[in-house]
Amino acid sequence: MRRSIFAALISLGPCLAAGVIFAQDAPRLRGPEPFTKETPAPPMSRPVTDDVRVMRNYPDQPPVIPHAIDGYAMDLNANKCMSCHARKFTEQSQAPMISVTHYQDRAGNTLGGLSPRRYVCVSCHVSQTNAKPLVENVFTDMDAMTEPERQPERGRR
Amino acid sequence: MDLTRRTLLKTQAAAAAAAAANVTLPAGAQNILTGEDLHLQWSKAPCRFCGTGCGVMVGVKDGKVVATHGDMQAEVNRGLNCVKGYFLSKIMYGNDRLTQPLMRMKNGQFAKDGDFQPVSWDQAFDEMARQFKRVLKEKGPEAVGMFGSGQWTIWEGYAASKLMRAGFRTNNLDPNARHCMASAAVTFIRTFGMDEPMGCYDDFENADAFVLWGSNMAEMHPILWTRVTDRRLSHPHVRIATLSTYEHRTTDLSDMALIFKPNSDLAIMNYIANYIIQIGAVNREFVEKHCNFRLANTDIGYGLRPENVLEQRAQHANDAQVSSPSSFEDYAKLMSQYTVEKASELSGIPKERLETLARLYADPKVKVMSLWTMGFNQHVRGVWANHMVYNLHLLTGKIAEPGNSPFSLTGQPSACGTAREVGTFSHRLPADMVVNNPEHRKHAEEIWKLPHGVLPEKIGYHAVQQDRMLKDGKLNAYWIMCNNNLQTAPNTNNETYPGYRNPANFVVVSDAYPTVTAMAADLILPAAMWVEKEGAYGNAERRTHFWHQLVNAPGDARSDLWQLMEFSKRFTTDEVWPAAILDANQGHKGKTLFEVLFGNGEVNKFPLTGIDPAYENREATAFGFYVQKGLFEEYASFGRGHGHDLAPFDTYHEVRGLRWPVVNGQETRWRYREGYDPYVEKGAGLQFYGNPDKKANIMGAPYEPPAESPDAEYDLWLVTGRVLEHWHSGSMTLRVPELYKAFPGAVLFMHPDDAARRHLRRGQEVRVVSRRGEIRSRVETRGRNRVPQGLVFVPFFDASQLINKVTLDATDPISKQTDFKKCAVKVFAASVADAGDVQ
Amino acid sequence: MTAECHISSLVVHSRPERVASIIEGLGLIDGAEVHGGADTGKLIVTLETATESQVIERINAIQLLDGVLAATLVFHHFEPVQERE
Repeated sequence: MRRSIFAALISLGPCLAAGVIFAQDAPRLRGPEPFTKETPAPPMSRPVTDDVRVMRNYPDQPPVIPHAIDGYAMDLNANKCMSCHARKFTEQSQAPMISVTHYQDRAGNTLGGLSPRRYVCVSCHVSQTNAKPLVENVFTDMDAMTEPERQPERGRR
Repeated sequence: MDLTRRTLLKTQAAAAAAAAANVTLPAGAQNILTGEDLHLQWSKAPCRFCGTGCGVMVGVKDGKVVATHGDMQAEVNRGLNCVKGYFLSKIMYGNDRLTQPLMRMKNGQFAKDGDFQPVSWDQAFDEMARQFKRVLKEKGPEAVGMFGSGQWTIWEGYAASKLMRAGFRTNNLDPNARHCMASAAVTFIRTFGMDEPMGCYDDFENADAFVLWGSNMAEMHPILWTRVTDRRLSHPHVRIATLSTYEHRTTDLSDMALIFKPNSDLAIMNYIANYIIQIGAVNREFVEKHCNFRLANTDIGYGLRPENVLEQRAQHANDAQVSSPSSFEDYAKLMSQYTVEKASELSGIPKERLETLARLYADPKVKVMSLWTMGFNQHVRGVWANHMVYNLHLLTGKIAEPGNSPFSLTGQPSACGTAREVGTFSHRLPADMVVNNPEHRKHAEEIWKLPHGVLPEKIGYHAVQQDRMLKDGKLNAYWIMCNNNLQTAPNTNNETYPGYRNPANFVVVSDAYPTVTAMAADLILPAAMWVEKEGAYGNAERRTHFWHQLVNAPGDARSDLWQLMEFSKRFTTDEVWPAAILDANQGHKGKTLFEVLFGNGEVNKFPLTGIDPAYENREATAFGFYVQKGLFEEYASFGRGHGHDLAPFDTYHEVRGLRWPVVNGQETRWRYREGYDPYVEKGAGLQFYGNPDKKANIMGAPYEPPAESPDAEYDLWLVTGRVLEHWHSGSMTLRVPELYKAFPGAVLFMHPDDAARRHLRRGQEVRVVSRRGEIRSRVETRGRNRVPQGLVFVPFFDASQLINKVTLDATDPISKQTDFKKCAVKVFAASVADAGDVQ
Repeated sequence: MTAECHISSLVVHSRPERVASIIEGLGLIDGAEVHGGADTGKLIVTLETATESQVIERINAIQLLDGVLAATLVFHHFEPVQERE
């Protein structure tokens, strides 16, 4: 009987509509069916390394990192991210400069360089893998509300 | 070029032409928006995730959260969020949100072996009430229970506590915080007579040294870590020492990374105490004036089932919590066994490095902040470990002043506010009171306006015990709220899942999403989350922080508060209270539980007119009074005047949180210290006023081995834990594509030599096997965690790799908190033919 | 050859009494879109085409509409179109 629960849920109208969850990935969210069943481990995903900027969901979102960061040093002696994203290196690297907010200390004073509180880049900026999302996220882009005619794809939701 | 860009270019082109022709184009055709279109309604809220309690600003438009950012005015984080916090905007919008109750049915009736079908709230509550009444009638209150959460809002936890203890007359109420910081909470009380830290986050800007014990702050408390790194990088004299069983992002930024063998932290701390004593660095005056010495019962077992041989063999498994008065001399004698040689041998850390660490504590000029989380708390000797770090601070007097601070970090947003302060543990009442103290029960009955004798005195089942009792058929009606315990409890295949599917039991799960736990329930109730309701959280530094309802929950989803209160309408006192009590209190006869618990003249005394008209409040509208305010003010009356003072309700909607005790409008940053804490008597300087003699306890305890250690067959330590991007078993974060894609699945972090020895390659599928169960995972020999040989780390957020099928349900015998950090496993290739594949 | 997308804009000076029929005529021209200016007789029109020569073709066609006094090119931008589109 336990086997059929997931199928039953899928058939149950809008709350758990078919196609919302990709069946093969459902164990990541809901576990095996039944719980005690042994599940194969999904393959590991590859990092995205295409260097193509990804649009932010809203202006305040820290941009995701469109390249691999494996082995990047971030210790008391070195911060590898800054070797491209620091202001003085951006011409050579053509990487985006760190945001001006990153020059401010806790009290809001503007400093001459990266604020120490912003030193750990990866607390906020994460690289991405080629994993396919497990479930659609229906977050609404604010532009879709303010100018629906310019967001024909998003506006339809 | 996509459509959006094409449209944008066209708009620019039209604007250029219009400018050239001096023509005004209709609004909407310009490429920059102005006026009302741009308006977002911004409101403050605390973050939904960890115990740090960052402030966020939430932007709402047309009933949707469209943006969030770090709140510049919030003192905790001053505009910063971690990556999870920055993606809060998307956590409510996973497309599989639960929007209606789902019940297992066959032929239109509830059936334990049926399939989930949508039902109305009335159908759901009718069946649930029928089942709870059946169990109450057949077995009594001890067969009813609830597993709650440190993610409950303050009033949700408070309402749950009233419903379970006063309504159903059972103390079988425990929060998932039991898995998280029970060891810390218990030790605060044992040491200081009062729960929660004496210091606060301001210590970060005042300390000269940070010592992290079993805490990977860079990933688990990233915003507090920004305050540590800010201090370290701005002040070259500052030092960070991190003690851990493997290397990670926190050790990367530490001056000293001390990688010790699991459980040997006990020996290291006792060595430091010994060092302090031996070199004469004890602050004699402080110790004599402010400390008592006690020795703990030893050989206390491992919190396993009583028939387990480890419990049978243990001398003090049944009185583990007992300690006896002692003296400095006896304590010093016990500590003297812990020489640097012994600590080095047990821990594997070179002697010189241990001495360097010990000097940080011993040097009176160095202000030390000790920080700890799950490495300490999820420990079969977690209470001892907490004691031992307090011992170091008490011996040296480095406590309760700026920068000198033993500080317990918490994992959940309201572990302190709801689980601890409200008292949703199976032994607790609000404001540090306990159920087995008759005076405390009487006081609670008075505040709650209940007949004397309604509150039960027997301590209820704690988290792990609830699972065991469900399995054994002694706990039969069970409500799980705001947690995913089937994924996060230990030894789930053997001890948790069987109880959920036991035909004698009726299991209800309230959640926003279909989690592993929900899928194994009999009834799923759809929950409102975060800013879909008015709420309050209490963070790790005693800060109480409120937010308004900003958007509506989807479909029929309702908050836990509404669910608890609405369900209480289905019971009358005659059905649940003993006749003797009702005979003596005729006024309570025939009333619904809703009437006696929430219509008591206190909870329902604030009218709807007091609600800020700028915000909706579904619960208040549903019940006809300002529910949250009534619950909060009644709750606050427990602590006011007793060192737990909270500000008036409305104040909290104005400020970015306040740290209790809030006396005369002023928050308290350092407790127990004159000049900071109004509860310290004038001229006393310092008073640990939680204890009657106003002294803290230095508790002597030895090193004892863990419940299970690697052997010839199960040859590896298994450590489990979290990753930066995911939180609460991934139930919210896995539904945010950016967070999911950043860390899509669990992996087994393994030392490259251990992998090579087993002929395993990176990415290869392996079996992780313990004496309890096994899972399949993938080998990772690189990445953010670098484990030593002989130890593997697996995060628990991935429901396709349920590592808690493998873990051991051993707990600290005093705090009953599970040790998720230490058990023995073996790892081998899933199949010989399987090559290492990376997709 | 990679595909391109050309976006351009024009000011179309029109006899006020013919504006309505000119807008109708513009609607029949592939890729043309009117953004405003009807009340002053100076219509703001954008063109979306695949090549530069199509821009010229369209301008010629617009100039031939009855009542059009002049069609002036103000803005021109083009960029390659990615294959995935």
